[in-house]
Amino acid sequence: MSKKSKDKMHPYIPELVNKLRKGEVTRRDFLNTATLLGVSAGAAYAMAGLPAPGRKAHAAAKKGGNLRVSMNVKATDDPATFDWSEKGNVARHMTESLVRIGDDGVAQPVLAESWSASEDLKTWTFNLRKNATWSNGDAFGADDVIFNFRRWLDPKTGSSNQGRFSSMTTTSDTGNKDENGNAIMSTTEAGGALEKIDDHTVRFNLNNADLALPESMADYPALIVNRRFEDDGGDLIKNPVGTGPYTLKEFAIGEKATLVRRTDAPWWGGETYLDKISYIDHGDDPAAQVAALASDQVDTNYQTSIEQVGTIKNIADLEIYERVTAQTGVARMHVTAAPYDNKKLRQAIQACVDHDKMLKFVYRGRGGPAEDHHVAPVHPEYAELPKLKQDYDKAKKLLAEAGYADGIELRIDCVANPPWEQNACLALSEMVKPAGIDLKINIMPGGTYWDVWASTPFGFTAWTHRALGVQVLNLAYRSGVAWNETNYSNPEFDKTLDQAGGILDPNERRKVTRKLEEILQDDAIISQSLWRSVFVTANKRVKGLYAQVALEHHYNGVWLDG
Amino acid sequence: MLIFVGKRIGFMILTMVVVSILLFLLLELTPGNVATKVLGPYSSEEQRNLWLEAHGYFEPFYIRYFDWLGNFASGNFGDSVRFKVPVSEVLWPRLANTAILGIATFAVMIPLSLILGVLAGMREGSKTDRSISIVSIVTTSIPEFASAVFITAILVFWLKLLPGTSTMTYGFDIVQLILPAMVLIIYDFGYVTRMTRASMAEVMTTQYIRTAVLKGLPYRRVVMRHALRNALIAPFTVIMLQINWLLSGVIVVEFFFAYKGFGALLLEASLNKDIYLIEACAMVAVLVAVATQTIADIGYTYLNPRIRFS
Repeated sequence: MSKKSKDKMHPYIPELVNKLRKGEVTRRDFLNTATLLGVSAGAAYAMAGLPAPGRKAHAAAKKGGNLRVSMNVKATDDPATFDWSEKGNVARHMTESLVRIGDDGVAQPVLAESWSASEDLKTWTFNLRKNATWSNGDAFGADDVIFNFRRWLDPKTGSSNQGRFSSMTTTSDTGNKDENGNAIMSTTEAGGALEKIDDHTVRFNLNNADLALPESMADYPALIVNRRFEDDGGDLIKNPVGTGPYTLKEFAIGEKATLVRRTDAPWWGGETYLDKISYIDHGDDPAAQVAALASDQVDTNYQTSIEQVGTIKNIADLEIYERVTAQTGVARMHVTAAPYDNKKLRQAIQACVDHDKMLKFVYRGRGGPAEDHHVAPVHPEYAELPKLKQDYDKAKKLLAEAGYADGIELRIDCVANPPWEQNACLALSEMVKPAGIDLKINIMPGGTYWDVWASTPFGFTAWTHRALGVQVLNLAYRSGVAWNETNYSNPEFDKTLDQAGGILDPNERRKVTRKLEEILQDDAIISQSLWRSVFVTANKRVKGLYAQVALEHHYNGVWLDG
Repeated sequence: MLIFVGKRIGFMILTMVVVSILLFLLLELTPGNVATKVLGPYSSEEQRNLWLEAHGYFEPFYIRYFDWLGNFASGNFGDSVRFKVPVSEVLWPRLANTAILGIATFAVMIPLSLILGVLAGMREGSKTDRSISIVSIVTTSIPEFASAVFITAILVFWLKLLPGTSTMTYGFDIVQLILPAMVLIIYDFGYVTRMTRASMAEVMTTQYIRTAVLKGLPYRRVVMRHALRNALIAPFTVIMLQINWLLSGVIVVEFFFAYKGFGALLLEASLNKDIYLIEACAMVAVLVAVATQTIADIGYTYLNPRIRFS
């Protein structure tokens, strides 16, 4: 490591290296923390005594070809408001993020060449790539990054990134009242949060320490658009300007999206193998995707449902890639809506669930049992709590204390596709029955369900994988954030979450995360069904492919063999 | 005849107006916010209100309806919220796709069912009649979603003869048309065959046919020249009705094979509360229904000159 690098290194890194040597932290914890603090992945792997990761040039790799992918093609106009990872997959080959999470779960630079954090983790400096150019001829730089962050933090944009980067916002009273007479609050960019140091350096000044900042920059709504995005119409499809290796050739919602290699300037990341990437929409029927794969109409797909895994295994030309993830589904309750404002009732529901059986019934055992706190065993800060047990006596007692000694009739809303979500609700309905809870399931088509997703008192929501547990806790359970679907607001939880974001020692962070897990479990705002494996199918001619934990597509290293 | 056609056009316009009002009302009463579908589930209340205001959704129902009616009459069908393009850009190509599927289906199904129906009805109770009747009843009894699964399992997964989906991503491909057309033919040919058979059997028992046979005319000549024309009146009505059925009844087949046709479009429009697209689809459906009925009525006069427009 050069002297210059050492000077810029976060002061905690030498201590972290010591802890690794003494065996006080695991290699995974070391890699994760070191890379978040700005140590490059290569250097972090070397410090851990591991071979360097990253994209390797394959001698056998062949250039050219059209990778045909079966995936829903959705409206992909504004990355800031993306709400499905499919949208990110089309856009990511055109417009890139500052950071990405590698196959090893470690943060890797993309448009940010490197970054460093202050000792208190409140000041982050990002050095941007100097050789990246936009397809409209502009040079990529700090103005682009500042423009994107400013947009994300503006409530008028309606971006979920506002919750992701809550450490750069401030909340104030608008002076208006809602229907119930409560003050209407507005969250906006905090003064001085964004600072341009020079054309290729940006500094983020946070309200509170946030170790997960680089990870948050890798999420699919955090793709960076050109600084003139809004002036040019604010539509990535009509004006596909990006820094990525591909550009958009054809796009039709519900039908197809075709990306072709950029020819205006070389991509900063070097060469890619594929000439073309074609996304083909086969609708919502998973059987159509399998039929397309079986008859060689597509090379790979977005996701294979658990119900189709058996069928695909019998097709010789196809290969299934499996990945254990932190993807999950939660039966979540609005803590402000009756009867779910009654904690005892929520706890009674929770006490009815046998998580092992749930996993077996709903997902054929592929994944792991969940623990009603949304931090997964694959998360580096996960702390194991005593195993939850199905206890009907406890459930009945809690139900009686909640004022429903004679039982209660409830309804859960869930989406029709994918089928495992319905099955999770069905299993929950069966499990709560012996305690006296009659849980009706309202299965809705996707278009209708997403209308009521946020407002339904009891609904089932699938959540994608995020690299850190605190990331998802920040997105879903912090008071007032855009994706807080439970209306949960617990100052103690928020304070502890702030604290967790500022702890460097993985073991100390685990202790604080344990507290967060306990708070969520005790408040019983979700009944979490399972952690699920994800499956991706590909023809054997597709090389360099893997099942990414959040089903993100990074096809820059993929090629077709024959 | 001109008066008859004029009356039919008048009736069609009246039906379109009534259907469009009913649809507007129904969509008004259906829960769900169109702005959520456009801006996404995570959009803010403020954003949704701004969008609704910008697109005139805060105007009273009747003003929005008359605005739409005026635009529709002048050929402007509005913009689709699901596809984010003018309705006409998505409607006509999808309608053309379903028309291609319909033509392929009818080109096989109509000759097949007429031939089988006539063969069965010619000699009621014969082995040929019983065999054809059994096959017709069995195929019609199997719903499209089931036959689609069986046929795909055999021809795609087992024999690997045909492509499993029909997205036509790289342009029109007749091979991709085979499976959806086959499913529709299998489901529908039995019905038309049964109707033709019943009509033929009835005609074959009439006195003029018996006289022709007893007079010593060759049996083939009796069937072709004297029986067939009269026996075709009932199947002709059924065939014309099948056009209407095909327009919306193909939803299952189009969904299963990912065929981008009118049925699948109607489904997507409904699920996304895409009001202008639903209205346009409904107007097309009414137009086709009235047009096919008018053609059927004109066709009767050719098949049976005793029928007059008056």
